[in-house]
Amino acid sequence: MHMADALLAPAVAATMYVASGTAAGISIHKLKKEDDPAKLPTMAVTAALVFAGQMINYTIPGTGSSGHMCGGMLLSALLGPQAGFLSMVVILTIQCLLFGDGGLMALGANIWNMAFYGCFVGYYLIWRPIMQGKLFAGMGAKAGQRARIILASILGCVITLQLGAFSVVIETSLSGITELPFGAFLALMQPIHLAIGLVEGLITAAVLVFVYESRPELLRDVDTSDKAVSAKRSLKATIAILAVVVLVVGGGLSLLASGNPDGLEWALFGNAEEGYSENMGLDEESFGVSSAAADTAGAIQEKTALLPDYAFPESESAVGTSFSGVVGSALVAGVAVLICLAGGFFRKKKAGA
Amino acid sequence: MNKMEKALHELAEMDELAAGTSPIHGLCAPAKLLTTIAYIAVVLSFGKYQLSGLIVMVLYPVLLFQISGVSVGSFFYKLRIVLPLVMAVGLFNPIFDRRILIQIGTVGVSGGVISMLTLMIKGVFCLMASYLLMATTPIDVLCAALRKFHLPATLVTLLLLTYRYIGVMTEELAVMTEAYALRAPGQKGIHVSAWGSFLGQLLLRSMDRAEELYNSMLLRGYHQHFHYAPVKKCTGKDAAFFLGCTACFLLLRFVDLAQLLGSLFVR
Amino acid sequence: MIEFKHVDFSYEKDRPVLRDLSFRIEKGESVGLIGANGAGKSTVMKLLLGLLSPTSGEILVDGVRVEKKTLPEIRRKLGFVLQNSDNQMFMPTVYEDMIFAPLNYGLSREAAEQRVDAVLQKLGLQELKHRHNHRISGGEKRMAAIATILAMEPEAVLMDEPSSALDPYNRRLVINTIRELKQTKLITSHDLDMILDTCERVILLSGGSIAADGPAEVILRDRALLEAHRMELPFCLAGRA
Repeated sequence: MHMADALLAPAVAATMYVASGTAAGISIHKLKKEDDPAKLPTMAVTAALVFAGQMINYTIPGTGSSGHMCGGMLLSALLGPQAGFLSMVVILTIQCLLFGDGGLMALGANIWNMAFYGCFVGYYLIWRPIMQGKLFAGMGAKAGQRARIILASILGCVITLQLGAFSVVIETSLSGITELPFGAFLALMQPIHLAIGLVEGLITAAVLVFVYESRPELLRDVDTSDKAVSAKRSLKATIAILAVVVLVVGGGLSLLASGNPDGLEWALFGNAEEGYSENMGLDEESFGVSSAAADTAGAIQEKTALLPDYAFPESESAVGTSFSGVVGSALVAGVAVLICLAGGFFRKKKAGA
Repeated sequence: MNKMEKALHELAEMDELAAGTSPIHGLCAPAKLLTTIAYIAVVLSFGKYQLSGLIVMVLYPVLLFQISGVSVGSFFYKLRIVLPLVMAVGLFNPIFDRRILIQIGTVGVSGGVISMLTLMIKGVFCLMASYLLMATTPIDVLCAALRKFHLPATLVTLLLLTYRYIGVMTEELAVMTEAYALRAPGQKGIHVSAWGSFLGQLLLRSMDRAEELYNSMLLRGYHQHFHYAPVKKCTGKDAAFFLGCTACFLLLRFVDLAQLLGSLFVR
Repeated sequence: MIEFKHVDFSYEKDRPVLRDLSFRIEKGESVGLIGANGAGKSTVMKLLLGLLSPTSGEILVDGVRVEKKTLPEIRRKLGFVLQNSDNQMFMPTVYEDMIFAPLNYGLSREAAEQRVDAVLQKLGLQELKHRHNHRISGGEKRMAAIATILAMEPEAVLMDEPSSALDPYNRRLVINTIRELKQTKLITSHDLDMILDTCERVILLSGGSIAADGPAEVILRDRALLEAHRMELPFCLAGRA
């Protein structure tokens, strides 16, 4: 769901920066008031863990696809919403700077879409109410707690991802870069992210339940007062619950994924290496120089046709593209190629000297 | 190579690139950061049909790639993550926007095609600019620059600490993934029975690690303040780079150089 | 310089980790703290550094009791080299890591930098100064970790498994470095050959109390004693039996 710079108009990008910046400012303020100096190293190590953990491929039973973990929910369940949010900010920043996931301008929007919902909405509206509630109390203290963790994780991931996807649609539409009608875009994004959310929720639930079984005191809002009862059986029970949910979800997903062996990853818009080679093919086409080269070809064709028969459509005065534009672009491409050649030449000379 | 190893490889590659010694590497980080932001802002501000104006903006990354000696190859690899979403969004433009904007010979080019190309080129250019920034600036130097722009110390420190441990954690997970794969041949990912414990185990260990890390800080007299290496002072050269580049961007934004050049030859 | 007086410690009730532990280490001594896994070696270190507090008894450093209000003073005197250098080196570069403690203790940047340079020079590590912590090898990392501690100019150096996971060359480098240190030294390790090379005295911990305390040459040659406490003679003394 990482948005690229190109999907945003500068005004929208700036607005999202302000929104995310405000959330970060409030979080830092709150954290300073908590005055827990041990928190910073914990946040750093957990953020690093989540960063790496998001690269794990989890096999989704019944499909050929694999899913990934949702960082926001995990971080806020472990560190609380403010610290979780800041950790996500840092993860997204590093992904943006060093891995090219997202963009410098889009960072504000990406933080909002992925960190803000995942941490604040996920924590205050979902995790905390569910964990402190009396849901599943009839199942016994421990089993009830576990069921609450699973429910909160799944709901949390699904809802925050829906909100995130919705924001992507709004931000893109406001930026005016797509001709796709708002409704159609929404209809495209939301169901895909529903499926992703379910899977992410299950994975996150599995991790959190494991933490709960081993060190419940690490989790926020989890009642650790009652004595642990036969952890072994409860783990089995958990896996059984998970298995049932997974089967149901997996069945649904396999329908979705059936058209494409790696449906989910495709749905993630190429989070997968599988899509890499195709993407690469497309990349080179859209790379400035080559596309300008295509334009050159067009220009040559034009010349040979002898009739420079091009025209502007009626009112589009803002249109900067005309035939002379095409020729000019080709010239620019030529200059760019010259620079490259010259650069190579100079470097070779340097190496020779 | 699994995903984590690839990520480690990418990290190492960025480190090596950033450690270069070209004139671009020598510029101060704040100047480079501001120039990059200016470039991206100008690129994004082009209208959706202003393809020819936009194309001229290729000169900045091309020049930078050449002067800094950073290879374009590794840049293309980075495109794989962001571009698909841009493509997915852009691909619909030709379907919905079919008005013919220019006629080249007998072929009419619709507005949708132009806006799709514009969008994709924007995506590539913006990513190029930030890639060039990171390939010529070590991340700790950039963080120091961010601190100069009054980004809160908490965030900057967290960023650096996290960056320090990303390598450590990714390596640990890479080894775990390998160990898992060796005992589970033929499985594509982590089986559902290990969903919780695989990362969970590492998570618990990491909590102990965080504690030890904090102890190590305490034992060396930590009281909530981190001292980083002093930042290199920005000079007139850096200012000239920033101002010069920004002026060029603005000029190119308002004067369609491609159009101008073209009209010298055609018509 | 370091004194444990009747120290008891337990994480959980009824499961004592240390039992009535008493020993003294004089200024300038180098002491090896050995014992099987779970004997309580790390706990001794943590207690001494004030990361844990004893259930009963007291610990003195230079006659000052280790307690909350004396911690800054005490920690300044003790340099602790962690077993996992990655946990110790948390700053981006070696230089920033080394200068961390001196700056925290109020030195000016110039004075601190001089100190860093002096330590690097002494250990022959000048080349590492501006390297990134995540880009140096395991051996370099261990040496750099020792350097960060020496830059604090501590009066005593505590080390947890300083020779673990090093190749023979780097292990020897670390051993030679330790031997040259003038400070009081307390080293825990399972590498008894290294202890023999670096320490004149050995304290053998077993089940939370002292099983033996004496010259390294004597204790590390006592096959029966070592085997009784789940250890073996150092290789260099074992011969080829």
